[in-house]
Amino acid sequence: MVTRIVSTLLVLTILSLVGAAVYVYSGVYDVAATRQHTPPVYWLLQTALRRSIAVRARDIETPDLSGPDRFRSGMRLYRERCAQCHGAPGVAPDRFSLGMTPVPPPIMQAGREMSPAEIFWTVKHGLKMTGMPGWDFKLTDEEIWDIVAFSIAVPNLSPAQYYELAGIEQNPPEPTQAEGADQASGDAEAGRVALLQYGCIACHTIDGVTGPDAWVGPPLRRMRERKYIAGVLPNSRENLIRWIRDPQGVDPLTAMPQLGVTEKHARDIAAYLYSLDDAGREMR
Amino acid sequence: MTIVRAPLVFVMLFVAVSGCDEGPRNAQPAVEGNPQAGAAAIASYGCGTCHMIPGIPGADATAGPPLGNYARRVYVAGVLPNTPDDLVRWIRHPQEVDPRTAMPELGVTEEEARDIAAYLYTRTGGRW
Repeated sequence: MVTRIVSTLLVLTILSLVGAAVYVYSGVYDVAATRQHTPPVYWLLQTALRRSIAVRARDIETPDLSGPDRFRSGMRLYRERCAQCHGAPGVAPDRFSLGMTPVPPPIMQAGREMSPAEIFWTVKHGLKMTGMPGWDFKLTDEEIWDIVAFSIAVPNLSPAQYYELAGIEQNPPEPTQAEGADQASGDAEAGRVALLQYGCIACHTIDGVTGPDAWVGPPLRRMRERKYIAGVLPNSRENLIRWIRDPQGVDPLTAMPQLGVTEKHARDIAAYLYSLDDAGREMR
Repeated sequence: MTIVRAPLVFVMLFVAVSGCDEGPRNAQPAVEGNPQAGAAAIASYGCGTCHMIPGIPGADATAGPPLGNYARRVYVAGVLPNTPDDLVRWIRHPQEVDPRTAMPELGVTEEEARDIAAYLYTRTGGRW
């Protein structure tokens, strides 16, 4: 009896190893950053990442992080080394980081949801295969704790308060020029990819788009039924496009940053968001 | 038998571990208010005529944003940090905070706003 179970297990193990090898070597899985992960793969990667950080941060002792000195030093370091990928309230990450997969989490959510020890460990050691470098050899532990102090405080600031503390002139870049007039309806499928490539998923949970469980901005569901966009514009295709391209021109107080979305891409994004039915499925 | 049980233990362990969910830990919204009274205030002010609010009968409207999972929201109305005091401020005087907002001033009292905030912070999970 035992021998049979053992041999069955052995055969099953060999079969699944062969299956895994075929899957890997055939190159079936698409690693393009312009193609989203399948939800199970995404879940597996995210869970492994989260658990790995949590376990390793467990024994780190958090020093006193209060006080304006730590915050100021942390803000300076953060703006020099981190904001390029993780953004800041009302401030977009640099252009190059927008198409990264996984998308770098906005500091405003990570600072709320990760413990100080977890942020410390992540900054110090970095994360394999995410684009997050380890800062151990470039920053002292004290400097990393300063960044942690800033990270856990910044979610409690409004964008306006942050601009003031950081001494930023809020000066939204002009939206790029329209590219021709032949874009009446937009391409929903291209819009879905644009939602990945402009990093929209870093802040919004969006039906049909695999991404982090993001709660910086509101979830983008049932957009066809909404009466208002961002609470300030009547919901119409043209207004949605305007908002996507120039949110701070519409409402200077908003935390949504200027992302340099082109007219065509904004139109595609609008087409995708309006293509979703109540249940979040695409209508054809 | 151990060889049979080992994978089972592993699976159980994995399920147990993956069951722990993340959530706000540093800025855990703590508000002094009564969630039940908040639900009643939400119903009497008719918040559900504009918002979808989990647990409030008939609150299924889409004029404003959905208000589920509010404890995890980083911002209130996209303009204020989601702290209890700022959420209360927004509920009471949205147009003072953001003159452009479509959300009306409803004459909500401080206490009612605290109760409403307490209610919203208790409704966690789900995508709304």
